[in-house]
Amino acid sequence: MNTFLRKNTVLLITLAVITALFIAAAQGMEKKDFVITLLRGLAVGSITFLVASGFSLIFGLLDVLNLAHGTLFMIGAYIGWTVFVRPDTFVDLLTPLALILSGFALADVYPFLATRIRLGLSMKRILPWALILVSVLIFSFILPRYPISIWDVENYGQSPVTYSFMADSGTRLPAPVAVFTEIAAPLALIGLVLASMIGAFGLSLFNSETQQQFKLTWKNFAAFAILLIVALLTFIFNESLTAVLTGLSSNWLFLIAVVVATLSGAGLGALIESTLIRPLYIRPIYQLMLTLGMSAIGIEIVRSVWGRPEFVMPKPAFFNGTGGVCPATNFADWWANNCSTILLLDGRVRVYNEIFIPIIGVIVLISIWMLLQRTRLGMVIRAGVQDREMVEALGINVRRVFTMVFGLGVGLAALGGILAAPSMGLSNAMGESLFLNALIALAIGGLTNYPGAALGSVLVGLIQQFIIKYGQIGIAIPFTDIIFKPTPPLVPASTVLLMVIILLILPNGLLGKKE
Amino acid sequence: MKKFLSSNRASLITLLALILLPFIVGLMDGESPMAVLANESGNAKFAQGLAIEIFILALYALSFDLIFGITGMLSFGHSMFFGVGAYLTGISLKTLGLSLPATLGLVFIAAIVQAILFGLVLPRVKGITFALVTLGMGSVFHIVVMSSELGPYTGADVGLQGVIAPAFISPANERIRFYFIALTILILVYLLYKRFVDSPTGRVCIAIRENEGRARMLGYNTFYFKLAALTLSSLTAALAGFMHTLYQPIVSPNVASMGFTVTALLIILIGGVGTLNGALVGAVVYRLLDFGLRRYIGESASFISGAVYVLFVLFIPFGIVGTWRAKSFQINQGWQRLRKLFG
Repeated sequence: MNTFLRKNTVLLITLAVITALFIAAAQGMEKKDFVITLLRGLAVGSITFLVASGFSLIFGLLDVLNLAHGTLFMIGAYIGWTVFVRPDTFVDLLTPLALILSGFALADVYPFLATRIRLGLSMKRILPWALILVSVLIFSFILPRYPISIWDVENYGQSPVTYSFMADSGTRLPAPVAVFTEIAAPLALIGLVLASMIGAFGLSLFNSETQQQFKLTWKNFAAFAILLIVALLTFIFNESLTAVLTGLSSNWLFLIAVVVATLSGAGLGALIESTLIRPLYIRPIYQLMLTLGMSAIGIEIVRSVWGRPEFVMPKPAFFNGTGGVCPATNFADWWANNCSTILLLDGRVRVYNEIFIPIIGVIVLISIWMLLQRTRLGMVIRAGVQDREMVEALGINVRRVFTMVFGLGVGLAALGGILAAPSMGLSNAMGESLFLNALIALAIGGLTNYPGAALGSVLVGLIQQFIIKYGQIGIAIPFTDIIFKPTPPLVPASTVLLMVIILLILPNGLLGKKE
Repeated sequence: MKKFLSSNRASLITLLALILLPFIVGLMDGESPMAVLANESGNAKFAQGLAIEIFILALYALSFDLIFGITGMLSFGHSMFFGVGAYLTGISLKTLGLSLPATLGLVFIAAIVQAILFGLVLPRVKGITFALVTLGMGSVFHIVVMSSELGPYTGADVGLQGVIAPAFISPANERIRFYFIALTILILVYLLYKRFVDSPTGRVCIAIRENEGRARMLGYNTFYFKLAALTLSSLTAALAGFMHTLYQPIVSPNVASMGFTVTALLIILIGGVGTLNGALVGAVVYRLLDFGLRRYIGESASFISGAVYVLFVLFIPFGIVGTWRAKSFQINQGWQRLRKLFG
């Protein structure tokens, strides 16, 4: 006990000062203001935590500063919005996606094929490029002609803004149904499969010489077959599937949107790690440039697909009740009426923003904690954070773990994105501000420390919300009559200042370990 | 003399090309060199303007290369160095009404003060934590500049407008003079940097980048060397900011934002980290790429530039200059083979 105190004196003093400040802040406002501000702070903290935890897992294990994390958070939100508001687009996209992936499912077969082909040296150099070129040509021929019913950014009546608005009011706009006109359907489907196989073959030829051992198992072919079947089924039952999804209640649709956004975030992360970041582990600085470039690309893609104007995502019906009995006075009442607000200690609290999001934050916190502490994968991750080379030396396939952790991190960010979308709204800039928050939270809590990420995020959220609240009511400075009102720019400045002070006192953050 | 000429052939040719650039562009456009000297508007004047912007960017990137590429401190608050120079020049010329030399003196004093401010945190934090602390200081400066309380001085989020440069280097009427002054400053600073890196102090800075613990083990107090690099870098960046304000009619708050630090980072990553002339090459590539894409592609330019950065990282692994140095033997060989093929 004594040694614990002595070792952590600075940390304990810092925590005590923060707590004292917090209590002082609580004294200055009324009870209902305090409750609302506290819950808002926790909500902001939860979203920040989802981004920060993924970032810190990636940084801890892979030593990659993923500066595109904010952009991926934003992409998660936009994907979720698409599934929620335009299920028909989502269904239309399933078929080509499954077809494009199918070729890559056979990844282990190609090296086997490559050994069977005897080629001259110059041919061997040209062949991969030629194959990739052919595949890109086929893709660029088919994909623009492949019919996908989508909104129209240029036309206001068909823009995301309008679709969001209509979905919120309960009616759905009749969306234009896309049909095959410029290209025959079988040709498009077969062409996509072929192009993807050719492209994957070309890519696999690049490292055919480093590949020493490969095993052909039924698993490769099974994955290929499953993808093909999925593609075929979604193609045949396109319309009925769309009808089913559109007919679902918005709660279920929201659940599907969350799952799809998280999974596609994880898939995107795994793809980025295995293709772009893997060659750069020997040149760490250039990872910065790569992730910066990806961030710029991501923002531009979002701008060109979903347009520049901001729009809101409707909340699921479960949290969106209004009318006579609302706001609910207690939770049983809320459960019966699904009110959008609830009265808590005289304060009017929005259920989705200020209660649901913190609960999800806590659930994710606990489940990732369990993953890290109780599973074999978590053990490998924790060991890798401590000493990556040692883990490699023990014969564990660290590369696969790297891909999984990158996918997990990006998936968490995407989950944060879709959860934040109904409360924050969707905009091209939503990633950047949140990413800065997450970075500050991590610096406060300790860069590679998982509980630290949670603590830092909550601190950042609370401080921001309390400063905003005090901007409205003003701080009476003791012994004077002056009432000081913090202006809006002070909100980011306050967290940044807190970060600088904490880093100067504890260079590794609150919970970070000493080096 | 002959040896000097042959060993510096490339730099001398570049220098000559830069001196002749306004006249060549003028001749291509049908303007006589006298007309170019008289600052008549045309393509030559436009090219000078673009070149001046590149010189300022190169100066700024050089200063970042000194602390990041040479000394190995990743600072995310570097735009603050530039921003302080730019804003202080504007305020001093416009609000305080000081003369140009007095302004320059003020900027230099401020640069030294902020280098010492950054230096205060040096002994405590290093590595990624240093990056975050400097990011914090830089963002606080950005927020202060943007705040409405300082509106009369900094112009808040609109930016500082209406700074009138003294008539004898006014970018509108005496652009060719401005061009040559900027070129001279860039060359002098570059030579100074080269001298610094080759000096014993610079060698210790490189040693700090490679392994700080060992440098300290050898008996060097690394703090002073880092502070020296930081001060020199801060002075250069402030000088770049000073020239930026004189050249541009408006100082936008973006020059103090994190994005502008990222610009410096991109420039030296394109050119090659820790090579010094990489910063110059990178500035040319970055500015021309940005300019060309915005002109010919328009809105989605940053998509292409993002893709270019990704391709750069994958295929030109150590920046232009770095890769050139690493592969100069192969490049030479390929060149010989090509010449044999044709003659």
